[in-house]
Amino acid sequence: MSEKDIYILGIESSCDETAASVVKNGREVLSNIISTQILVHRKFGGVVPEIASRKHIEHIMPVIDEALKQANVELAAIDAIAVTYGPGLVGALLVGVSAAKALAFANDKPLIGVNHLEGHVFANFLAGEDLKPPFLSLVVSGGHTSLLVVEDYNTFKSLGQTRDDAAGEAFDKIARYMGLQYPGGPEIEKLALQGNKKAIEFPRPMLPGSNDFSFSGLKSAVINYIHGLEQKGEEVPKADVAASFQAAIIDVLVKKSQLVLQATGLKNIVLAGGVSANKALQDALASGAAEVGARLIHPTPILCTDNAVMIAVRGYYMYKNNEFSDYTLNANPSLQIGNR
Amino acid sequence: MLTLGIDTATKVCAVALCRDGQPLAAYEINMGMTHSEGLVPQLEQLFTRTGINKRDIELMSVSIGPGSFTGLRIGLATAEAIAYSLQIPLVGVDTLKALAYNIPVEGVLLAPILDAQKGNYYLALYEWKQGKLYEVESVKVVTGGELGNILLAYMKPVVVLGEYAKITDSLPAGVTCAPKTVSMPKALSVAMLGMEEHLGKENKKYFGLEPFYIRRSEAEELWEQRQKNLAKSDE
Ligand SMILES: [Zn+2]
Repeated sequence: MSEKDIYILGIESSCDETAASVVKNGREVLSNIISTQILVHRKFGGVVPEIASRKHIEHIMPVIDEALKQANVELAAIDAIAVTYGPGLVGALLVGVSAAKALAFANDKPLIGVNHLEGHVFANFLAGEDLKPPFLSLVVSGGHTSLLVVEDYNTFKSLGQTRDDAAGEAFDKIARYMGLQYPGGPEIEKLALQGNKKAIEFPRPMLPGSNDFSFSGLKSAVINYIHGLEQKGEEVPKADVAASFQAAIIDVLVKKSQLVLQATGLKNIVLAGGVSANKALQDALASGAAEVGARLIHPTPILCTDNAVMIAVRGYYMYKNNEFSDYTLNANPSLQIGNR
Repeated sequence: MLTLGIDTATKVCAVALCRDGQPLAAYEINMGMTHSEGLVPQLEQLFTRTGINKRDIELMSVSIGPGSFTGLRIGLATAEAIAYSLQIPLVGVDTLKALAYNIPVEGVLLAPILDAQKGNYYLALYEWKQGKLYEVESVKVVTGGELGNILLAYMKPVVVLGEYAKITDSLPAGVTCAPKTVSMPKALSVAMLGMEEHLGKENKKYFGLEPFYIRRSEAEELWEQRQKNLAKSDE
């Protein structure tokens, strides 16, 4: 007898996207609804927490309704409700968590609280059909930069992380300094395409002997460079700055990943987090991994940024592992990876 | 009509059930505990203890504001998800009106107030006439200092209720503070008032309500101020 199909409803509201999705058996995406707030926050130059929360409460139920309708699955047929409970903006998280708990309660369905970062890692199971633990994951987002070994579906070991600015944070801060619009990461990437990445030699902080990262020195170097030119009344070669800055960050990320791949002997590395959408990073890490006999897997663009598919996929493996939450589940804005 | 009421607009976490005009059960906690952790467990216990099947609820009523922004969203997200799941209509009732509903007494002006932070208060005025509650003055944000004069201007006996504790001493003579037992939000009032307001209306909405914030976010206010200043400096 074949096993029963498992349908997970995923819900995500940790930052500026309200999202819901239905995923079958952890691999088949039946719906992926995302209501983005990027344009709402743009005039403020970044995400405004209270405005984000207001948008989430406006969109949460319509998005969930649409996800179920598009998947053509009734609530009654859902096996569990998975929701991001951290890390993220507390007020934003609370909207998704509250809706998810009430759905679970009203429909007598199991509730699964999911770590947003683990969700990003698990998006890769949809990209590499044959991907199985153990593998290495480079998590790069606005709040995180870390190298993580996924030992099995439910065990993660962090080997190193950022000591100051996350990679995505450095992207955003430099973008803002250069007067680029929010969100800054994609803007830097676009600008870098027209620049020379060898034009300016920015530092590549390697922290020898450690798997940790540090990007605040690099960020300051870029800001000082721009400031210096401005003081002299010289024009800032924005495209070259963007290209050279991006190249410096990517160099560090790739070299550190290579070292860990060699040390652990792992044959697969996956990219996770918002910055994983960066094409230059994908290309550099793919060839960097190949140099040390490993393979890079990264999510499709739509699954690189925040979405609920990844929450449903992570939820599926927690469901299989009987890891459920009770109705006291609360938002945890500073949830660490591997902590549940 | 079996109605479930939820109020998380203030520090009080309140859930209650009523059927037609009959209060059935209420579970209210006023100990500063987080709504997010407590609300659904409280609902679960309400149904377990009463033996009422949650699938029999016919109407969902939620306190929609003014109040704590986060509290309002927790209550509304919960209410919407329940209404949606059970395919029952959802009504939002004004938090201040639900407070006035706690004291069904004619001949006095009821002045429910809620703390709007930084010395400000949400205030509205209500009056009962022939068993119905009417709004005399719609909600506004006033400072604690202004409150007394606003109330005196009506030349009527006034009863304040709600979050008046911080300004009790500054209230003028002739203004009475309601007993604490009827001063805090009650989910029974939310449920009964919600049912009254729902009756006779074509309401088939499961979601789509917005919290009654009254105030915009601070970021929006600052942004607008900056635009005004920029416009001025351009002149
Ligand atoms: Zn994310």
